[in-house]
Amino acid sequence: MFPSKKPTMNSHDRPMCVQGDSGLVLTTDPKPRLRWTVELHDRFVDAVTQLGGPDKATPKTIMRVMGVKGLTLYHLKSHLQKFRLGKQPHKEFNDQSAKNAALELQRNSASSSAIMGRNMNENMHMNDAFRMQMEVQKHLQMRIEAHGKYMQNILERACQTLAAESMVSGGYKGQASRGVPDMGAVKEMGSTLSFPPLQDLHLYGGDQLEMQHQMERPLDGLFPTDDSIMSKKRSNPYHSNGKGPLIWADDLRLQELGSTAACIVSQEEPPPSKSEQLQMASSVIDTGIDADSIANVYEAKPILSMDSSGEKKYDGGTSKLDRPSPRRDPLPMGMGMMNPMMTGGAMPQARNLSYG
Amino acid sequence: MEVAMEEAVAPSGCSSTTTTMDDDFICAWNDWNSAVDWGSFSSVADDFHELIESMMCPDVVDSPDGLMSVSQTPSYNSSPSSMATSADTPAEEDVVAGGSHDGDEKGLRLVHLLVAAAEALAVPHKSPELARVILVRLKELVSQAGAGAGVGGTSIERLSAHFTDALQGLLDGSTSAHCGGRNSFRDGHLHHHTSDVLTAFQLLQDMSPYIKFGHFTANQAILEETLGDRRIHIIDYDIAEGVQWASLLQALVSRPGGPPPPHLRITAVTRGGSRAMRETGRLLAAFAASVGQPFSFSQCRLDADEQFRPAGVKVVKGETLVMNCVLHPTMNNTRSGSASSVDSFLRGAVELGAKVVTLVEEEEQEQYEERGFVRRFMGELHRYSAVWDSLEAGFPMQGKARGMVERVILAPRIAGAVSRAYRDSKEEETDGGWGKWMAVMGFGRVRISCFNHCQAKLLLGLFNDGYRVEEDGSNKLVLGWKSRRLLSASVWKPPLSPPPPCPPSPIRVGIVTPDGLTASFEDSDFVSD
Repeated sequence: MFPSKKPTMNSHDRPMCVQGDSGLVLTTDPKPRLRWTVELHDRFVDAVTQLGGPDKATPKTIMRVMGVKGLTLYHLKSHLQKFRLGKQPHKEFNDQSAKNAALELQRNSASSSAIMGRNMNENMHMNDAFRMQMEVQKHLQMRIEAHGKYMQNILERACQTLAAESMVSGGYKGQASRGVPDMGAVKEMGSTLSFPPLQDLHLYGGDQLEMQHQMERPLDGLFPTDDSIMSKKRSNPYHSNGKGPLIWADDLRLQELGSTAACIVSQEEPPPSKSEQLQMASSVIDTGIDADSIANVYEAKPILSMDSSGEKKYDGGTSKLDRPSPRRDPLPMGMGMMNPMMTGGAMPQARNLSYG
Repeated sequence: MEVAMEEAVAPSGCSSTTTTMDDDFICAWNDWNSAVDWGSFSSVADDFHELIESMMCPDVVDSPDGLMSVSQTPSYNSSPSSMATSADTPAEEDVVAGGSHDGDEKGLRLVHLLVAAAEALAVPHKSPELARVILVRLKELVSQAGAGAGVGGTSIERLSAHFTDALQGLLDGSTSAHCGGRNSFRDGHLHHHTSDVLTAFQLLQDMSPYIKFGHFTANQAILEETLGDRRIHIIDYDIAEGVQWASLLQALVSRPGGPPPPHLRITAVTRGGSRAMRETGRLLAAFAASVGQPFSFSQCRLDADEQFRPAGVKVVKGETLVMNCVLHPTMNNTRSGSASSVDSFLRGAVELGAKVVTLVEEEEQEQYEERGFVRRFMGELHRYSAVWDSLEAGFPMQGKARGMVERVILAPRIAGAVSRAYRDSKEEETDGGWGKWMAVMGFGRVRISCFNHCQAKLLLGLFNDGYRVEEDGSNKLVLGWKSRRLLSASVWKPPLSPPPPCPPSPIRVGIVTPDGLTASFEDSDFVSD
């Protein structure tokens, strides 16, 4: 893998030797110099990012985080210095410039990976900035997922408790005991879950979460069809006015797919003009039909699987905990998120019933 | 700030606002928002008697011109222009109910009445009778619009309904100083089921960055400051359900390359009942186990006066101490943290020698001329109108979901905020929040990293346009909606020397809670630590 990425930052003519286990490449000079291979540099950038950026990282902390044997403070000090001097991913992440950097990078990688290699030096700083953002995105994604998973745990726990309590308090049925809907209400909630009559809650999904599904599904095949791109734009008018968030949102998802090809295809699509945007926006606001129908198409599957899990859940089962970890598969996670939305719609009814 | 918003006082600013804004934001609610000249409240509110008079004659107020005639008093020549603006703008962008000409006027009238009611309750002219009359009228207007219980109606009508309820609560005296989330101004209104509250909380998180912003920014700062430490001990002032920590646990185990994850201990500072805390501890411990993070959990009780006693925390030698204080209203089940309680906690950070203190609090930015309660009331009105606006802009079609968030999460917060504003306005005002106070106390600023700033930007990028993050000083990130600053997260290092004896403490503390959240959790024999 890495010998093919021949380009390096240092002199190429000296004889080199690879140091055993760590994979460090050093010159065989009396005064050995470290060759910063692409891989090593990437690890360096990752470490710097993790430490909060070049302004916060120190050679010592970088060394600790990188954990590469044979790497010395001396190596890191000079490399960090160069890194700081080079154009940094600046603290003020200028959305526009960052976006340009991202696009630039993709254009390069689009033509061929070899060119990407050759352009390595020129694009080094762009690459670093981009890499850093990717790194942050990666971490952010994991955090969001952990956050979501935990919320899910809380919700499940609360439902279990509710179910348990309503069993216990079955005798007090006539009394509108606060916080404890009777079993009938809970059942009602569960069964409502199975049907999708809550139009506007579905729509809600159509905005953000379902967006992910819409994007992910076609992208699984690596090549999104025009449809998917259109649907994305139509149903999400607020996102694509050239201010950046669209790209971030995409990156976050695309990156987890690890598919550069898909990345290029979706992002090379020229952003729609402002006037188009406005029209789209108003049409969506007016009708909402586009977003609705599209969301429904892609929602079909999650809803089906909700049927079973939803029922199980309110029967007091703990099967949900056995779900695949959202870290590996973002889809179940999204479904988890759908859950509360549906109960959200169902609850008022449930309450009416129990308080009748 | 490219969008000069309405607090720019000059009514002429209004027209320019609308032109700069409609590029990006088309939502009619925004139009309403820009049409309301918040700066002019002062003048109108000063003269609230006129408002009241017009209110007493429904004929006048119900005609579209009624409001105009109020504003066009000789002494406020500037007002008509702002009114005219409000009347002109929305016509062609009349896409959502309430964005119409009529809706604007109606919204404006509601807001004016709310401010008038607050005026009537405020100390100098205190007149509960007048307030009562205004509130009756407000309720009529709101329920005419079908927004009676904060359900249905337009955004501004629902917002007004919740503020009306909050004021009514004050009037009825059902909100006492330490009632926090239990100010049940309308029976059944606040008494939501646990799962309702959780569901709404989840919805709020999915729809806006308000919760995650504070949590993630604080957590990233903690990660950076504790890098390489073997034992980390976080003392969390208001842990609630522990939602903040799941992402930290995840982050600790996913540090690549380096040594195995450090041991993490979290001490939850609690008030009284510890049942909910045990539940939280159990959930966190289970989560930590699922990701493979060594973890333990303990509690530290506040004393009877809600004072934090550093001696109550078990500190192990060699561990890195972190103090975390998230004061923006999350889904707490604890009661409102009084100023002196937060004060004692932050002082505790000095005494315990914490390595870093993370603080998340609501931002203040009002420049109203009013003093005391009315000023605070308007501040809250403005704050929540921004929150309303942000949710509507992002999810225009999800009225049901928004309604739920508003009712279950935001309404209790509004009630709490209004009652706090009322309570605090009787004391001397020292604004600027806890950050300012900490600076005075000699806390050092810990720089917000590039990673952290980038993370916040990326987070906001996942939501609709209109959210902003900006750096304020080196150690603080501020989350705002358009030009309104809402929340901030800041990072501090306690001074080495003990704090000066008696610096003034800020009054506002933003903890209000929907109540009864964990009331139904059963007790159990969970043993931690």
